[in-house]
Amino acid sequence: MNNEEYNILAQRQHSKYFMRFLNVLPSSLSSHDTTRVTIAYFSVSGLDVLGSLSSISIELRNRIIDWIYRLQVQPDKETGDMSACGFQGSSTVNIDFNADNKLYRCGHLAMTYTGLCILLTLGDDLSRVNRKAIIEGVKALQTEEGNFSATLSGCESDMRFVYCAACISYMLNDWSGFNIKRATDYIMKSIAYDYGIAQFPELESHGGTTFCALATLSLTNQLDQLTEEQIEGLKRWLLLRQIDGFQGRPNKPVDTCYSFWVGASLKILNSLQLSNYASNRSYVYETQDIVVGGFSKWPDTCTDPMHTYLGLAGLSLIGESGLLEIVPTLNITKRAHDHLKSLHEQWANES
Amino acid sequence: MSDCDDNDAGWIFYKDRPDWSDVKPVPEDDGPTPVVVIAHSEKFEDVYDYFRAVLQNDEKSERALELTKDAVELNAANYTVWQYRRELLKALGTDLRSELDYVESVIRLSPKNYQVWHHRRVLVEWLQDPSHELDLTEEALLQDPKNYHAWQHRQWAMKTFGLYDTEIEFVDSLLTEDVRNNSAWNQRYFVHNNYTGWSDINVQKEISYTLEKIKFVKNNESAWNYLRGVLIHDKRGLNGNGLVTSFCEELYRNRCRSPFLLAFIIDACEDAIKKNEADGCHNAIRAIELCDALATKYDKIREKYWKYLSNRFQKYKSENGDNHSV
Repeated sequence: MNNEEYNILAQRQHSKYFMRFLNVLPSSLSSHDTTRVTIAYFSVSGLDVLGSLSSISIELRNRIIDWIYRLQVQPDKETGDMSACGFQGSSTVNIDFNADNKLYRCGHLAMTYTGLCILLTLGDDLSRVNRKAIIEGVKALQTEEGNFSATLSGCESDMRFVYCAACISYMLNDWSGFNIKRATDYIMKSIAYDYGIAQFPELESHGGTTFCALATLSLTNQLDQLTEEQIEGLKRWLLLRQIDGFQGRPNKPVDTCYSFWVGASLKILNSLQLSNYASNRSYVYETQDIVVGGFSKWPDTCTDPMHTYLGLAGLSLIGESGLLEIVPTLNITKRAHDHLKSLHEQWANES
Repeated sequence: MSDCDDNDAGWIFYKDRPDWSDVKPVPEDDGPTPVVVIAHSEKFEDVYDYFRAVLQNDEKSERALELTKDAVELNAANYTVWQYRRELLKALGTDLRSELDYVESVIRLSPKNYQVWHHRRVLVEWLQDPSHELDLTEEALLQDPKNYHAWQHRQWAMKTFGLYDTEIEFVDSLLTEDVRNNSAWNQRYFVHNNYTGWSDINVQKEISYTLEKIKFVKNNESAWNYLRGVLIHDKRGLNGNGLVTSFCEELYRNRCRSPFLLAFIIDACEDAIKKNEADGCHNAIRAIELCDALATKYDKIREKYWKYLSNRFQKYKSENGDNHSV
């Protein structure tokens, strides 16, 4: 359906949609119990992209900031060990432990990344972030292979957490916990025969992991490690993902979130302008719920905060009016990124 | 994963269980300013209040092991529950075979959950027994042939324990079922990379196989990508394999205008140019024609991309003299 009437951003509804998620969620979302910070990130950054950050009152802003800081895992009081530091995704296991089992309370890279995004977006000065500890926490999670585990407490390691670790290091302006060479080797090994990039070496190329890899190479200034052949191959692979919207893998259905993952990857390679904006835009709008707000992955299916945020971020990448500009690597607005830059300057002057 | 109803028959809250009366539940402390609050069911809260209690007490008992099952059922994505469960299995010396069966049943319910597959992998590592992994992943893949988690686990098990023998038949059956299954094509590549190798004979065999599949469905990106991937191992490059070249030319002559065919010919032209073959300009001219055809007719959605490629060839042509005419 290309009905023009529906190709209009339901800005007010989306703002309300995010505000609801910041408040209370139904029990059907219990499986998101340990990752509530990511829902807060989609909502806060989503409101920012919509230019609706003012919907968040000062009181709510402070509540969110305080809530995030409560999830920060501090260095071990006795030993000073920082390997578990970072942010937790919720207070599910935000309890005191004794020495034997204290590693159950540990940061999670995706939560640290999105937690920092929230703080920046809300204009916090990160003064309560224990930067050194967080970086030590990142360092503890890099594996032999060069990728990162999500947490110390028994988790898988793959390209997603390479990306999160890179974002955290970039935001805290400290790369001492991130071995760039090893991570770059890992990324290079994960480039597949079709030039897309996989979660793990030899797995199938995927739009989401290609984004994680390219954003990491960009944040670490390693894009020049890609050969011309690889760059041209990546452009082709990414552009072939466009059907009307974008799919994540060849011969898979289109999904709203790839308008961001693939769109941002192309933007990082300065090639988004080679895609077809009009078709992309129409598809994303087909997945918009204009009554209660939100976007879904497919038309006429259930909306969720992730697809809503990524739908908006995808539209922002192609210059949709009424939306703030997105920085494709960090996936926050340019406005929030400017704030980060001013903090970096401030830290440089302090040291 | 959906929440379980509070009213499942016979369910007794932990707080009402006499055999748990010695444990003081630990409610979640979300601080004075909670946001993004999930309105959990009473059952969820009860189970997790007791989970926090055993975790904090570091209780290593059979009842704690049972409790983690309830916690998993309510949220299989809670990695702390799984990690604690593993600690319990070690401490209690539980039969890991029955644990394999248990996690298999959870995988059936949540086949796209990272934590369950991670748990499975740790168990297989502990047991050093991968004998069920091919069957388990096969079952998951029959349900969803593109399940990334299942493929990742399968590749891990195959690589770690060398389980390559029958994989090519499995891949073949998936491709017979759906020739557009990109995951299966990727797995085919994986098998050759790690097991069969890329001898000249094998490269030639794979090319024949792929061309047969392309003949069957010409507009299939996965097969064309695979062809290109196989040709990485052919020293003659994209444009030097006679079988491939004549196959493409015949398709073209028979009026096939699949964008993937045209793109392949363009890349073969580029390959020839890069190798400084004598008729560089001729190749550039042909590539430009094909790019223009794609941009204006056969792949209009990527119009800008094909024009961009066309310009690159134009540049080559003007830098290298275009006195050859077609």
